[in-house]
Amino acid sequence: MSVSRRLETFVAFSAEVTAFTPTEVWGTGLTQRYLDTVDGVVGTAMTDALLNAFDRITTQSAGERTAKLRQTVFGCEQLGPVARAVVKLWYIGTWYALPAAWQERFGPAAQDGTFVPTPDAYVEGLLWSAIGAHPPGAKAQGFGSWQFPPGIPKF
Amino acid sequence: MSILDRRAIMVDPGVLKNSGHYDAIIVGSGVAGAIIANELAQAGKRVLIVEAATETDRSFKGYSSYLQHFYGQADKDNQSPFPVNRNADMPRSGQLRKLDPLEINSTSYIVQSGPYVTDTVYTRAFGGTTIHWEAKTPRMLPQDFQMQTLFGQGKDWPIRYHDLEVDYELAEREIGVSANVEDQQYLDITFRSSYVYPMHGLPLSYLDQRVAAQIDGSEVELYGERYPLRVRPFPQGRNAIPNQKYDGGKGYQPVGAVASHQIDVGGRCQGNTNCVPICPVQAKYHAGKTLAKAFDTGRVDLLSQAVASRVVIDSASGRVTGIETKLYHDPASPDHHTIMITGTLYVLAGNAIETPRLMLASGLRSSSGLMGCNLMDHAYLLNWALMPQICGTMRGTTCTGGIVELRGGAFRRHQATFSVDIHNDGWGWATGSPASDVVELVDAGNKFGADLRQAIIDRVSRQLLLAFMIEVLPSESNRVSVNPSYTDLLGNMRPVVSFTVPDYTLRGAAYARQFAKTVFARLGAEDHTKYDPSDYGFVTYEGEPFAIRGGNHLAGTHVMGTDKATSVVDTNQRCWDHDNLYLVGAGSMPTIGTANVTLTLAAMAFRSARNMIMQLGRLHAPVQT
Ligand SMILES: Cc1cc2nc3c(=O)[nH]c(=O)nc-3n(C[C@H](O)[C@H](O)[C@H](O)COP(=O)(O)OP(=O)(O)OC[C@H]3O[C@@H](n4cnc5c(N)ncnc54)[C@H](O)[C@@H]3O)c2cc1C
Ligand code: SF4
Repeated sequence: MSVSRRLETFVAFSAEVTAFTPTEVWGTGLTQRYLDTVDGVVGTAMTDALLNAFDRITTQSAGERTAKLRQTVFGCEQLGPVARAVVKLWYIGTWYALPAAWQERFGPAAQDGTFVPTPDAYVEGLLWSAIGAHPPGAKAQGFGSWQFPPGIPKF
Repeated sequence: MSILDRRAIMVDPGVLKNSGHYDAIIVGSGVAGAIIANELAQAGKRVLIVEAATETDRSFKGYSSYLQHFYGQADKDNQSPFPVNRNADMPRSGQLRKLDPLEINSTSYIVQSGPYVTDTVYTRAFGGTTIHWEAKTPRMLPQDFQMQTLFGQGKDWPIRYHDLEVDYELAEREIGVSANVEDQQYLDITFRSSYVYPMHGLPLSYLDQRVAAQIDGSEVELYGERYPLRVRPFPQGRNAIPNQKYDGGKGYQPVGAVASHQIDVGGRCQGNTNCVPICPVQAKYHAGKTLAKAFDTGRVDLLSQAVASRVVIDSASGRVTGIETKLYHDPASPDHHTIMITGTLYVLAGNAIETPRLMLASGLRSSSGLMGCNLMDHAYLLNWALMPQICGTMRGTTCTGGIVELRGGAFRRHQATFSVDIHNDGWGWATGSPASDVVELVDAGNKFGADLRQAIIDRVSRQLLLAFMIEVLPSESNRVSVNPSYTDLLGNMRPVVSFTVPDYTLRGAAYARQFAKTVFARLGAEDHTKYDPSDYGFVTYEGEPFAIRGGNHLAGTHVMGTDKATSVVDTNQRCWDHDNLYLVGAGSMPTIGTANVTLTLAAMAFRSARNMIMQLGRLHAPVQT
C-alpha cells in the first residue's frame, strides 16, 4: 500500500469502527499521528494486516461489513486487541496497553503501555461530541449552556 | 481591574537580611495567607510571604503549562496538573492502598497511620489549594456554631454566626461569589437586609432540573420530623453575571485571569466542567487573584521555593523570634541552604495539615496539648444511578445544585447531617467515567461502530451521581502528628495522619444510603452503587458496607476557643502561647457542619487581619511604604 493509500484506509477503518464520518475523523487533525502511534506500538506489518483485512471488505454492505469485522478483525486473536485499542484511542484519546496475553503471544511490542500520544488527543476525543458535551477543560460550551437539554448529534 | 505587571518580588534571599523590617511574615500563599497579606498591605504594613512551592503559575504561560500537563496525563487524578516537587511534596490519591490492622503506610507523602485511609488532598503550589478547589461557598448554619448547646454533640464555637456575618460578606466579595440570597435563605441562615451576592446565581443544570422535576415538594421523615426536599443552587466562587444591586447599587466587577500581561478571559464561567482540578480560563476564584492585588501595593514581597522548617521561640516570653526556612534551588534536587526569617508578627497559613505539622516539628504542642488534634474532614459517600432519560451529563460546572435541607435539624442529637451534591460530571469520581465506560463497552461489551456510539450515549448521558458530604465532629484521637522516622527530602518531618470515621458520621452515612435509594426510587433511576471491600476507604457500620472518600476540607487541628487550657488559638486565631504568632485557616474551626470550609476560613482571615493591624498599631511598628 502506498503511504497516502495507507492513511486513507486507516481513516476509513477509523470512521467505520467509531461511526463518525471520514470528514469528522480527518477534522481531528490526528489521523497521521494515530497511524504513527499504531505503527509505533505494533509495527507496520501488523498495522498493514489490519488495514488489509478491512480493505478486503469495504465494498460490501454495511450489515455484511459489521459481520465480517467481527469475524476477521475484532474476533481475530491477533488483530482484535489492536482494533479495540484503536477504537478507544479515537474515543478517549488514550492508547490503552494491549492485554498481557496478547503481548506474550504476539509481542514484544516495546512501545506499548497506556499513554496519551499528544495533549490534543484528549481534547479531540470523539466521546465528547458523541454525547453532545465537551472534554472537561477544553471547548467549553458557554455560560449557562448546561441548563438546556444536550444537543446529541444524530449519526 | 487591569492586571498588569505586578511588583511581586522574588526576593533574593541574600539581601533579605538587609531588606528592612517586615511587619508580618506569612507562611503560605493560599487563600488564608493571601487575604491577610492583602489586608495588611492595604493598611500600609510590609509583608513577606514565604511559599514552599515554585511560583510557576504567576504567569499565564505558567498557568497554561498546568493545563497542558493535565491534558497529557493518561491518569487524570485530581492532582494531575501539578508536577511532582519532592521538596514541597503533596498528597496524591493514586498512591494509596488499604491498610492491614496496625499497618502504617509511609509511601505516600502523608504517612497514613490508619485505621482509616484518607484520600484527602491539598495542593502545594503558588496560591495554594484554591488553584485546585471546586469553589462551592456555602456559609455555615447558625446552629453549626452551637453544636454542644443545641444537640449535645461536638463543640461550641467561641463566636456565633452573627459575629462572622460581616466577614462572610467580605469573603464573598473577595472570592467573588455567585448566588441569589432568596435561594440561600433556608434552615436558619440569615442575611443582612438589602444584602445581595456580588453576582447572580449560576443556573441549575438540565440534570438538576430533571431531578427537581421529580423530587421538589416531596418529603422525608427523620426521627419524627418531616423535611421537605428541593433542588437548590449552590453559592459558587466562579464568575457569573454581576448583580447591579451589589454594594448599594455600585455593582461588582468580576476578576478574570491573573497574569503578568493583561489577558481578557475568565470574566465569566464558560462551563468547562473542569473546575477540579483546574479552571482553564480562571473564571473560578484562586488565591492568585488576591495576591495580585496585594503585590500591586508594592509592600508585599514573595520568597518562593522556601520551606518554613522551624518556628523559633524565645523561651522566656514565648514570643516567636524567627522562622528557620530552607531554600532549595531546583525542585529536582534537595540541595538547599537554611536562613532565619524575622518580622514583628508571624502568621502560619500552611493549611490544617501543614500548619500543625510545622508547629509540632518545632516542638510546639500548645499548652492545651491540642496541636494537631481534632482533625476533621467531611466524609463523602457516593451513590450513583442511571436516570430514565437522557440528561446531558458532563456539561456545566462540576456541580450546580443539590439537596441541602438536611444540613440541619433536631436529628443532630443522634446522627450527622449531610449536604447532597448533584454532580454534573457523571460517575467520574466513583468509577472513572466516562473513559471507564468506553473501555468496558469496547473490551467487555464487544461494541464498535454505531452500536458503540449509541451505547455510549445511553450509558454516559443518563448518569447521576449524588455525593453526600457528611459532617464529621472533632475527636482528639483523629489527628496530625510528626515522627522523626518520616521525613521528606529536605529533612522536614512529614505529616502522620491517624483517623477513624466516627460512629456519629457513619450513622449519617447509613441514613445517606437509605436517602439515596429513596431519591432514586422517586426518579425511577437505576441504582448502580456498589462499594468494593478492597477500596482503601471501605468501612462497615452495623454490617452495612460503605466506601468513604475524603472531603479535602481539612480543619480543627489548632482549635479556637475561650481559654488556654482547652484551645490553641483565641477568637482572632492568635496563639494563646505566643502573642506574636497567628495560626490561620480551617485548623481554627471547632466544628465544620456541612459547609465546605473555605468561605468560613476566608471570613476568619478578615477578622484576624483586623486584629493584627490593631496589634501592630499598639506595638508602634514602623510603617514603611
Ligand atoms: C479537590 C478539592 C476541592 C475542593 N473544593 C472546595 C470547595 O468546593 N469549597 C471549599 O470551600 N473548599 C474546597 N476545597 C478546600 C479548599 O481548597 C481549602 O480549604 C483552601 O484552599 C485552604 O486554603 P489555605 O489558604 O488554608 O491553605 P492552602 O490553600 O492549602 O495553602 C497553603 C499554602 O501554604 C504553603 N505551605 C505549606 N507548608 C509550607 C511551609 N512549611 N513553608 C512554606 N509554605 C508552605 C503551601 O504550598 C500552600 O501554598 C477543595 C479542595 C480540594 C483539594
Ligand atoms: S465550569 Fe469551567 S469555566 Fe466554569 S469555573 Fe469550572 S472550569 Fe472554569
